[in-house]
Amino acid sequence: MSCQCFIIPEDVLERFAKDKSLSEAQRKSFADAAQFERKWRKLRATYGKVSAAANTMLASRAQTAAPPTITVYNCNHGTTLPGIPVPYPGDATAKRAFVETKAVADFYQKLFGRNSVDNAGKTLMSSIHFSVNYNNAFWNGTQMTYGDGDGNIFVDFTRSDDVIGHELTHGVTQFSAQLAYSNEAGGLNESISDVFGSMFRQWRAKQSVDKADWLIGKDIMGPGAIAKGYRCLRDMADPAAKHCLSQQPTHYSQYKNGMDPHYSSGIPNLAFCKAAKAIGGNSWEKAGKVWYSALTGFAPQPNMKMKTFANRTRTLAKSMFSKDPAVFTAINNAWIAVGL
Amino acid sequence: MPNEIDLLLVERIGGLAGFGVAGSRIRCRGQLAFNSLPDTDQRLVEALFKGHGKSKPSAQRDTFSYRISCARKFGAKTVEVPEAALPATIIACVKDELI
Repeated sequence: MSCQCFIIPEDVLERFAKDKSLSEAQRKSFADAAQFERKWRKLRATYGKVSAAANTMLASRAQTAAPPTITVYNCNHGTTLPGIPVPYPGDATAKRAFVETKAVADFYQKLFGRNSVDNAGKTLMSSIHFSVNYNNAFWNGTQMTYGDGDGNIFVDFTRSDDVIGHELTHGVTQFSAQLAYSNEAGGLNESISDVFGSMFRQWRAKQSVDKADWLIGKDIMGPGAIAKGYRCLRDMADPAAKHCLSQQPTHYSQYKNGMDPHYSSGIPNLAFCKAAKAIGGNSWEKAGKVWYSALTGFAPQPNMKMKTFANRTRTLAKSMFSKDPAVFTAINNAWIAVGL
Repeated sequence: MPNEIDLLLVERIGGLAGFGVAGSRIRCRGQLAFNSLPDTDQRLVEALFKGHGKSKPSAQRDTFSYRISCARKFGAKTVEVPEAALPATIIACVKDELI
């Protein structure tokens, strides 16, 4: 069964299953999909509970499980996931998906001791060439999916390694803090993906915080967008900049419930950038470790407020870098600067 | 006459780039006649408007959603639907543009 059925509202599926204007075969198909959705939801809930319990009880399992297998599938411009398996290396898009996904897995393993998104070696699956001229990349709860772009506003979404890091980090968040996707938790969720996506890009390029450009999606911008002066999706160092396709708020006083996560994420994005720059060196060595512990070191809190996350990083900065008080000072000042 | 047709107004929102959200410089809109949809797609749209208007939370991140309205047929109500729940006929009517 295609994953297309997973998020059609169950009440719609059930209504179709009883719609006598549809053929018997169509009604049965909708009834089967509704039953599948019910079972799938139970399975997801159970898996989430087991995963959370295992994370608590088996802290060493990341070291004992095998590293993740990397798989890539080709949608051949269709929309049925995952598509056809691609043997390594495949075309240029497939090779980037293989190489950069492996690099993200290495990034999490080497820097944070995390084994895949679930910390238990989950296979990292990517689908490429999704749909036609598709201007997006997404995480669907199970895998990554990348469009080729329309060649004007955007080019192939595998071209920006921070985009690959961003999507995989949605998986890490799903299996750790389990942040929701609305209001303050939604903004944090998106910010966490930008933070670790950008950090991954800096790590790949061996860039210090002063050398990094802090741009999200710089390498997927197409000629039409560049001609209009857009250099990136978002700029963590200057979220309201005119060169961003998505210009974001920079202070918590601008936050309102109901904002899209891709908008409100500018506030914690700027806090991380300010903290990392004030600490100096490489973003993944101190600020990154504090952010990672704030994300993964606590019980899931789906509706977390930004202030809660900020205070976690303050507490962790003190405990993790007790001999380096400049880390706490930098992080504290960064959050204060954005109103948190 | 266009104003006598039940026009569906469709806007794609969200995605990694934040289409159509506050501060965004990219948007994606389109329209099509409700009657031009195949029968099954028409029934799907009717069911969506009879539903709760917004889908349940899911584990999907950075996926597109679509805001759909059809004033003549469904009044002032606007529904927000995940991309995977929509037929290709509706998705195909929108066009991305920079603003």
